[in-house]
Amino acid sequence: MADSSEVSIIRESTERDFGFHAIIAFVLLITTWLLLMPWFPGIARQTLQRFHLRTPSFAVWAVQFPVPSMYNFANQYKVEEFPPGFVMMVFDENWRYANHFPARVITFFAGRHDYLSTQTDRWFTLKSSYRGQTLESRFHLEAQTEGGYRLIRIDDVEDSL
Amino acid sequence: MNDADTVNAASIPLALNRPLAAYRIVQAAILVTLLWKWEFFLRANSLYAEIPIEDPFFPDWLESVWTVRLAFWGSVLATGIGLVTSYVPLRKTSSWFAIGSMSVLCIHQASYNDMTFITAWWCCLWSVWLAHRFDTKNRELLIRRAAFLSRLIISVILLGGAAGKWTPEYWSGEVLYDIYFIDRDFWLFNYLRDTYEPESLQDIAKWYSRQVVVVETISGIGLWALPARWAALAAVLLLTGIVVLSNKYLVSVMACLIGLACIGFLVPRRSRIAKHPRQQTSTTGNLTV
Repeated sequence: MADSSEVSIIRESTERDFGFHAIIAFVLLITTWLLLMPWFPGIARQTLQRFHLRTPSFAVWAVQFPVPSMYNFANQYKVEEFPPGFVMMVFDENWRYANHFPARVITFFAGRHDYLSTQTDRWFTLKSSYRGQTLESRFHLEAQTEGGYRLIRIDDVEDSL
Repeated sequence: MNDADTVNAASIPLALNRPLAAYRIVQAAILVTLLWKWEFFLRANSLYAEIPIEDPFFPDWLESVWTVRLAFWGSVLATGIGLVTSYVPLRKTSSWFAIGSMSVLCIHQASYNDMTFITAWWCCLWSVWLAHRFDTKNRELLIRRAAFLSRLIISVILLGGAAGKWTPEYWSGEVLYDIYFIDRDFWLFNYLRDTYEPESLQDIAKWYSRQVVVVETISGIGLWALPARWAALAAVLLLTGIVVLSNKYLVSVMACLIGLACIGFLVPRRSRIAKHPRQQTSTTGNLTV
């Protein structure tokens, strides 16, 4: 453990430092959030929605960015050339795992390169699980005539939140 | 070595402006973080322009390729200025520009999912705090606080990794087996694939994954409470180990944290000095006997 002299010089100094204590409070807030996540389904639900870009408000999604989430949850995805349930011509037949933020397979460089270079429609299914909670989301990436894609969230998602 | 020798030896490195050295180490580490995937960012730059994705979830300006370009270059430029400048107001201003640019990168459609920018953002937060405190008369207190914040930040980042892995799919190794062991082109996983049968690989993946969960959990909960130098050593070894045993792209995620961890090495030893009440620390942090 930290030696007592080191702790005391930080704690007992007469030099007030609001920023120092504000950062400690901020870290404590995030630590509390993280430690409660396994026990409070609502916190895990927020994170599942965050990973699938399904937080009801962009602002609420954005303020969560400092919460570190390296390799969090069991996130899977699959990519198809045809709408789900239409013809089973599966572009990538197996579910694959993504480390965090599974929506990165749509928005991030590697995913755009691998799946969206052809300028044809694609359907993505994301599935994330954490201690019994699961969220599944479907996205239609509609190719635009002027180039690029429009992302459409397909409503019939299944979840056990 | 007698007590006088101990104090003399300790006084030489204390002549160094430790907070400024700490600040510059972290700026250099942030630059490594930002520029490590240089080739990757160049390719991403053109691809994001070629294949835009229109998503009503993001505001238009956070989908624009120009925003991500400006934010990335803004953060590089601001960090570079912070690294070299001795002009205090410029250092303060550049630290704000850096964290502002990094905040944009953390919520932009093209870059929000890259942990590189999250770890760099935490280092920028630490940098803003320190950049506004160089006028202090008590440098020793400042470097101790800087080191304390550095290990607190590293702890919470590791805890964030751990908490998300407290789930059966990580304990069984299923997730990391799929991400790393099946087809990741990296020396460790290439070697394991060449050496072991798939059944054995799954077993190795299980224990690999469990050690990740346990190490991140212990470090996340306990690293901040270690003495500064021990915490620095432990964090540097751990963060380097994550890179060496996972993949080279994690250098960009870990480099700034390794720089941040090194601040603990700049904390002066106190134990021998505290035993001698006549030896005091001056207002500049230099020892006077």
